[in-house]
Amino acid sequence: MSINSTAIDPTAAGDNPDEIAGITPPPPARWLRVGKSPWITRLLALVAFVIVWWFLTTPWSWHEGKPIMLPLYLPSIPDVWAAFVRSMTIHPIAAGVDRMVVGEQGYYLWQHLLATLQRIGFGLLFAIIVGIPVGLFMASFRFFNTAAEPYINFLRALPPLGYIGLLIVWFGIGNTSKIWLLFLAAFPPITIATIAGVRGIREDQIHAAQTLGAKRYQILSKVMIPATAPDLITGIRVAVGFAWTTVVAAELNNGIPGIGGLAYASGTELQTPLTIVCIIVIGITAIILDSGIKALEKVIVPWRGKA
Amino acid sequence: MTVAMDKSGGAASNAKHEKSLVVDGVRQFFGTKGAKVHALSRIDLVIEPGQFVCLAGPSGCGKTTLLRLIAGFMRPTEGQITVDGRVVSKPGSDRGMVFQAPTLYPWMDVRQNIELGLKFQGVHKAARGIESERYMKMVGLSDFAERKPYELSGGMQQRCQIARVLASDPDFVLMDEPFGALDALTRERLQEELLTIWRETGKTILFITHSVEEAVFLGSRVLVMSRRPGKIVLDEPVDLAVDGQRLPVAELRSAPAFVALRDKVRDAIQASM
Repeated sequence: MSINSTAIDPTAAGDNPDEIAGITPPPPARWLRVGKSPWITRLLALVAFVIVWWFLTTPWSWHEGKPIMLPLYLPSIPDVWAAFVRSMTIHPIAAGVDRMVVGEQGYYLWQHLLATLQRIGFGLLFAIIVGIPVGLFMASFRFFNTAAEPYINFLRALPPLGYIGLLIVWFGIGNTSKIWLLFLAAFPPITIATIAGVRGIREDQIHAAQTLGAKRYQILSKVMIPATAPDLITGIRVAVGFAWTTVVAAELNNGIPGIGGLAYASGTELQTPLTIVCIIVIGITAIILDSGIKALEKVIVPWRGKA
Repeated sequence: MTVAMDKSGGAASNAKHEKSLVVDGVRQFFGTKGAKVHALSRIDLVIEPGQFVCLAGPSGCGKTTLLRLIAGFMRPTEGQITVDGRVVSKPGSDRGMVFQAPTLYPWMDVRQNIELGLKFQGVHKAARGIESERYMKMVGLSDFAERKPYELSGGMQQRCQIARVLASDPDFVLMDEPFGALDALTRERLQEELLTIWRETGKTILFITHSVEEAVFLGSRVLVMSRRPGKIVLDEPVDLAVDGQRLPVAELRSAPAFVALRDKVRDAIQASM
């Protein structure tokens, strides 16, 4: 492979024109700097990943005609693709059987995904509605902070699987208990970020507003809330991450439709290709959501890191 | 009227600014009984309307403490500060403050920052626009109205802060080493601009600095504070006028009276250390 031959090339890092001796840190070796766009590097990493996957799951004559990893543990790429196509179409329930079914477990894959996104959306919405005022209160009133902080930390320390059973007893097996779980997972990071944001405001920024004649509510709306916004957005990002990691726990019981429930159910039924489809879809959706929040951050708090 | 004042010097007679500020027997301690710091030993001071008072002294002598007490960010341990007979107990828009590190709000552009005080005071949008234009022009930021503070240089940020305070029309402008973090050239230019602005607007200014040169150049009255516990050891009017004529700003630094006074203030600071 050409990668190996350039890696040992002794001139690789030496003739870089924008390197000023002793001033700029040495750039990575030339074979690592594949281009200016990070996307080329990422694409190469993906290709490498797919090659390894393909190598591990293809039958080899030198391996008694079997793949290195059995399909039950790591299904081949065509199997995963087939599972993906099945989950998006109406298809016979099994080969050679006339009965047709929709997607998986009676829903298309996108319906599973949508159901999960809805739960996360509601959980997050309630977490924002409750978390921000609670954070503002805790940051503003010492008494409230002293009283509430242990409970927030307690809640944060609990693994969601530990209390989903209790939530089902309280709120039933339907959507309510799931949204509650996602709310409880997303609420502490938002509250904690709000507190950090308020405490991080420079005292003189408040003083400046006071000497300009600001009343209390004006200090809150014109100074404290905008000053807290960067931390808040970070908090929401963390909360979305927490909600995603909690979603499988939320959908363990009666989680269909739901992509977390589908991932769990397919695993227990040894439908490994479908499990991998779910994992890939969950991961890609999470990345897209996070990029969306990051893009929103640039619009809402352009001053982040600059002032 | 002097040459340097002729533009809009009439502002000095504005009745709204005829308030004096009295610091009456103020002492300040910090910390608890165990480790008590005596920051200010008895300060008595009267600042008359229209004065440009410069308070100079070594670092850590309590200059900033005194300024923050006057601003109302804290209450003195002993004594009181009054404006027009009323005791200062909290910050208010009658005492504007220019901070050493700019406190402009990055979520607002230059114009919004400058109009903020008027907005807090409920001034109508059109009137705010006229005022912000006037002060942006005064500090040379008219072309930067839509910029965000973090897009400005340090000197421009301080100009913006000064405009923001002036636009809210306080009776007293408190300035806490506003040019301390700037390079020497920018600093000199801003000093000249500030002096011109003071001559135009007739605002009462209390300006803190550790630079003797700056104090004598800017002030119509120079105070020197001793090191901690701070007390005022020199109170000197600055009169650099020649034949009753105020010198143009650009010629001040080379005036013989300027040099003599600078040496006098420097001796006072050294004697107090």
